[in-house]
Amino acid sequence: MAGTVISSAVDHSAVVQASSSVRPTRWAWLLLPGTIFLVVLFIVPLAGLLLLSFGVPDWSLANYLRIGDSPAYFIVLRNTLEISLAVTALAFVLGYPIAYALTTGGAGLRTFLLIAVVLPYFTSVLARTFAWVVLLGRNGVVNEILLQLGLTSQPLALLYNRAGVIIGMTHIVMPLMILPMFTVMSGIDKKLLRAARANGASPLAAFLTVFLPLSLPGLIAGILLVFIYCLGFYITPALMGGVSDITITMEISSQVTEQLNWNFASALSVVLLVAVLAILWMGSRFFPIEQLLGFSSGEANSGTASNRQLGTQYLMRIGSAVNKLDRWLPSLGGRSVPILAGVLATLLLLPVLIVAYLSFSDSSYFVFPLPGYSLRNYENYLSDALWIRATFTSIRIALLAAGMATVLGSMLAFGLARGAIPGRGAMVALVLSPIIMPTIIVAVATYFLLAWWGLQGTELGLALGHTVHAIPYVVVIVVANVRNLNPAYERAARSLGAGPWATFRTIIAPLVMPALVVASFFAFLSSFDDVVYVLFLGIGRITTLPMRMWEGIRQDISPTIAAVATLQMTLALIIVVVGELLRRKKHS
Amino acid sequence: MLMRTQSRSSTIASETGGIALQNLQKRYGAFTAVDQVSLSVAPGEFISLLGPSGSGKTTTLMMIAGFEMPSSGKVLVDGKDITYLPPHRRELGVIFQNYALFPHMTTAENVAYPLRMRGMAKAEIETRVRRILDQVHLGALASRYPHQMSGGQQQRVAIARALVFDPPVLLLDEPLGALDRKLREHLRNEIKTLHKEVAKTMIYVTHDQDEALAMSDRVAVMHEGQIRQVSAPQDIYRRPEDLFVAGFVGEVNLVPVKLSSGSIVGPAGENLSAAQCPKGDGDATLCVRPENLHIETATREVSAGIKGHITGTTFVGDATIFELRTEAGLHLTSKVLNITQPKTLPAVGDACIATWHPQDATVLTK
Repeated sequence: MAGTVISSAVDHSAVVQASSSVRPTRWAWLLLPGTIFLVVLFIVPLAGLLLLSFGVPDWSLANYLRIGDSPAYFIVLRNTLEISLAVTALAFVLGYPIAYALTTGGAGLRTFLLIAVVLPYFTSVLARTFAWVVLLGRNGVVNEILLQLGLTSQPLALLYNRAGVIIGMTHIVMPLMILPMFTVMSGIDKKLLRAARANGASPLAAFLTVFLPLSLPGLIAGILLVFIYCLGFYITPALMGGVSDITITMEISSQVTEQLNWNFASALSVVLLVAVLAILWMGSRFFPIEQLLGFSSGEANSGTASNRQLGTQYLMRIGSAVNKLDRWLPSLGGRSVPILAGVLATLLLLPVLIVAYLSFSDSSYFVFPLPGYSLRNYENYLSDALWIRATFTSIRIALLAAGMATVLGSMLAFGLARGAIPGRGAMVALVLSPIIMPTIIVAVATYFLLAWWGLQGTELGLALGHTVHAIPYVVVIVVANVRNLNPAYERAARSLGAGPWATFRTIIAPLVMPALVVASFFAFLSSFDDVVYVLFLGIGRITTLPMRMWEGIRQDISPTIAAVATLQMTLALIIVVVGELLRRKKHS
Repeated sequence: MLMRTQSRSSTIASETGGIALQNLQKRYGAFTAVDQVSLSVAPGEFISLLGPSGSGKTTTLMMIAGFEMPSSGKVLVDGKDITYLPPHRRELGVIFQNYALFPHMTTAENVAYPLRMRGMAKAEIETRVRRILDQVHLGALASRYPHQMSGGQQQRVAIARALVFDPPVLLLDEPLGALDRKLREHLRNEIKTLHKEVAKTMIYVTHDQDEALAMSDRVAVMHEGQIRQVSAPQDIYRRPEDLFVAGFVGEVNLVPVKLSSGSIVGPAGENLSAAQCPKGDGDATLCVRPENLHIETATREVSAGIKGHITGTTFVGDATIFELRTEAGLHLTSKVLNITQPKTLPAVGDACIATWHPQDATVLTK
């Protein structure tokens, strides 16, 4: 989902206005409603979580001591760490060639790679996890192929174990790894590589001494984002993991919903939260995180340069050594990287396409290849009152959440882009936090708050939670647009006799409208695809479409889900394409 | 800019650095970017490739540098065929547009880069870097990053980086392209002085005619992938061999004429004269620069010239520009230097005759 977030970071050359002279303008008032909303529904719940973890009102450290004492929880933490590290490393190794080819490849290859990265990205995590459950099962597509090729005599155990979790998670986080790398790489002046070559560097030495060090911030950002995402990942580990692969998020969930031990769940959440914040803090020493999310801080270059100094020197030494060997090294060939990237990107795209293919089966089981084509899965979906009711529930909640998020988020965006206020950095951090923090923590914290208000299990309560999660997307998309809005247009309108309201109506609104529409689409999609909030805030009373898919995947893995997942992907695809068309229309 | 000339490099450079382009061609599908370009550059010569954008000048330079492979033809340096040698083994210094200084390296690291890539010993690198930085007056800025320096300082870093490994040839790709006018003129002089001091062959790509004329030993004017004329700057300006060259370099009045048995007949049947005139009959164009077009008030009878009347005057400081319309409906421009106020300057509406000295006019048939 954070795809637009990262792609809009490309214009980080846009300069923050009036950062030196801090005088609140009237625009700053627009920050008020959104800030209050986020404080009440995001900060207060997290503070509540912290208090609960200390056993308030009886202050104690018992919950934390319990984590330290029991070897079971140590294993949970170790599992989480091991899986996250493995997935991050794999995603990095597999993602780098794609990001590199995405920057340096020919036009045709770049288009294909972009589709292969973006399409899975906007497909819901649930649909992609479902794809892997189907692919990796005992009678799944992968085993089917292996058996038919005679590579194995009996089905391999690929699902409900560590290998399955790692495969599934890696696939899901790949775009998250690739997009920040790509953002930074595409900002590197290709002439620098030519300059290196003209100064005697072989292609490999030029890559090592110039491209690699300059792409380092993107690599660090990608690695951090993915690692943080893995630590707080719930859906895929819960659906694909085995009994021995319990992660911290699954433990939190179990404590909240099964053990009903809120204090202990809070303590676990706080541990996860502290870990995430520590990693973010470390990362921000190398790279301004908010810049990655579309906010530039202006003085990005000065501080980070010295931190990278050491790495650069080291790479210079390697590059110089490589150059001496150049005449003896086999030519790597200009083709190998594009081919590798193409193969990896195909693998990225394949699970999504296979599910779409399987959805047209005429069998009531998953059989590969299809025995015959039919629309029976789609008919099943459309004729099942429960599926349809779930769909309408999802649409209702998503419309409510998208509406609130668009109004509050665009006000925040205008306030942040135009209103110079003291403590702007903290405001940006507050606004962006809901997508960086593990969803499960925010969902659990919000659940405690809603329970306090008696709003748990209501559609309004769920929509409120979704709104918190959707606001950052709206803000990032709209801020990028407002920054490009030349204030001279407004001054011209004022000089021609338009009052403030008329200026807004005739100048600002039409120019910002495409961005608002795109932002509301993505807000809608983020709510429509969510299952984590529903699991906690719905308390079994609300069944949205993803919720029914979730239950379906856990129980019988019926082929109807493939049809639903395919429809969901199509919706995402339409939204991406319409968003892109609106963006182009604005630019033409 | 370089205070002392390195005697060693200058003697070597005067013997090496000759470049020959033989029928270079670069096609992209159906489009021909560079079309049969042949050019010989003598060791130590400063030659400019001048042309509008899309004329193929940068593509030609990139083929010399090794970043573009020609579709056919050869690039020779000192008689050695380097057409298919990868760029890092060509030993040619390149100064890029906007300089392409490595942003993650200091001045000293940027300048040391080519030496490190050549595996030179650390002590030797330090000595060489310090020496060249002193020569370009950047010794004090060795530990600065590119973004902490002015445009002029960045150019010197780029020059130092391209010179430090002592290549016989420097290729310059519109190095002054993105700078403001004042700085351009200043840096233009620096490059010119540099050329005199290091005596290296320089190939300079630009779309700015003033730059090309002011700096070069010879200028090659390019258009639509072809070299239209290669001459000394004075000849490019005074004796264009091609209508495009005449129009692209400086201002020019173009008079459609007919050639018939040795005489030049103007649009209204006037008998005109030009020192450079091809043989043969048919349609042609007579070119004369505005500063060479003189205006006589029509009170006096003049034998050769074109009759017309003044339609406008513009004062531009050092000169006054007169616009006139001939009897045949042709628009001509005359530039008169404001050295002393002439007694009888024509005014708008006055009848006049435009004349020129035959040696200032050229007739072109293409």
